[in-house]
Amino acid sequence: MVSTYIPKTLEEALIIRKETGARPLSGGTDLMVQYRRGIGVTPKFPWPIMIVSNLKELIGINETPDGSLCIGSATTSSEIAASPLVPWHVREASSRMGAISLRNLATIGGNIGNASPKGDLPATLILLDASVVLASVEGERTVLLDDFIYGAKKTLLQDDEIITKIIIPKPARPFTYRWYRKIGTRRANAITKLSLSAAITIDEKGVITDFRASSGAAGPKIARNKALEATLIGKNVEDIPSLLPSFLADYDKIISPHAMPEYRRTSTKRMLEYFLTEVSKRPSGEIIE
Amino acid sequence: METKIDFTLNGQQVSVTTDPLRRLLDVIREDFGLTGTKEGCGEGECGACSVLKDGKIITTCMVPIGAVGGSDIVTIDGLKETEQGKTIIEAFADGGAVQCGFCIPGMVMAAEDLLRSNPHPSEDEIRKGISGNICRCTGYDLIVESIALASERGDGLW
Repeated sequence: MVSTYIPKTLEEALIIRKETGARPLSGGTDLMVQYRRGIGVTPKFPWPIMIVSNLKELIGINETPDGSLCIGSATTSSEIAASPLVPWHVREASSRMGAISLRNLATIGGNIGNASPKGDLPATLILLDASVVLASVEGERTVLLDDFIYGAKKTLLQDDEIITKIIIPKPARPFTYRWYRKIGTRRANAITKLSLSAAITIDEKGVITDFRASSGAAGPKIARNKALEATLIGKNVEDIPSLLPSFLADYDKIISPHAMPEYRRTSTKRMLEYFLTEVSKRPSGEIIE
Repeated sequence: METKIDFTLNGQQVSVTTDPLRRLLDVIREDFGLTGTKEGCGEGECGACSVLKDGKIITTCMVPIGAVGGSDIVTIDGLKETEQGKTIIEAFADGGAVQCGFCIPGMVMAAEDLLRSNPHPSEDEIRKGISGNICRCTGYDLIVESIALASERGDGLW
């Protein structure tokens, strides 16, 4: 039996993490399944574990003085989906994860720490330029989520650190149009086969001032490329149809699907094409269906 | 490394001293003999092991008992003693919702969870409410109709 710790405070958790290297387990929806051993048998982990799901310091959603949103790492998908403070993309992704019973357990910190390219929350958080706050007994550091997850199941987390908070900055201007699509085998309890999150901001003159897209499950990490996004910024939204062919050809180069590449490339580009074509028609609703 | 864990189980204050990584599902079934809660898939997909934890539905196959300290757990064996539980179970029986029966404890828990937040759900809301529960016999229609019947008969209970 591996050592298991149930710290009562974050301070205690950080000391345990430093001294034993115990890995945090929150909702258990990934780890308890990954290390299960069969009917009626207790999961067995290759490293010490500490259960952090009840640490009050890690739970909650609040706005910071500069207008950013701060979400505690042990906040569940249900809590995130129900909070009006949370940006639309993240609420959408939260409300479509698994089923109700899973969303009541699964946490945002776990979804990030697990670092699966199919993770639903990282795809939308990376779109919004979110950062993670990593704490250790030495102090805190903040890392851009897009840098933190650098490959499939690979993060910059150090052996003495715990993910404590997720910070989502407020965009300079509210997005004009937003899009989120998750493709799975069924409506409930489906692992994402492919996802695309996108947002665009258009000024009074029809000029694109912000455009972002992040692509989930289409490569070893969530794909986002700011240089490519920037090629549309400053252009008039009416010119999108003429810019699309070369934009989509370039987008194809930033995704690297490991399996079913043809399907993933085609579907990703079709979603992007649909979103951009729809917004060029300037529909009245903010959410592109 | 055994740890003592105190929690509330079906209204009773209880305590277990055990490996904190044991699944809540196994503690409920083995230590307390409450075998109404079933193990189906063991990976959070089927909903057969559902209980209410602090009033919210969860799948117990994914929860280590070490995360349960201080929580209020209600299983099917507790729910069946309540007016709400009896109303749902009778509606399931009268509505022909049950074939093999293995998924039914989880379905009843999901129905209770749904009716608590939405006492008069539409058909679509019922289908969403049980979307985390898999039944391989019925095709779901009679379960959905039986939850609507429970909602009607139990008007004012939730």
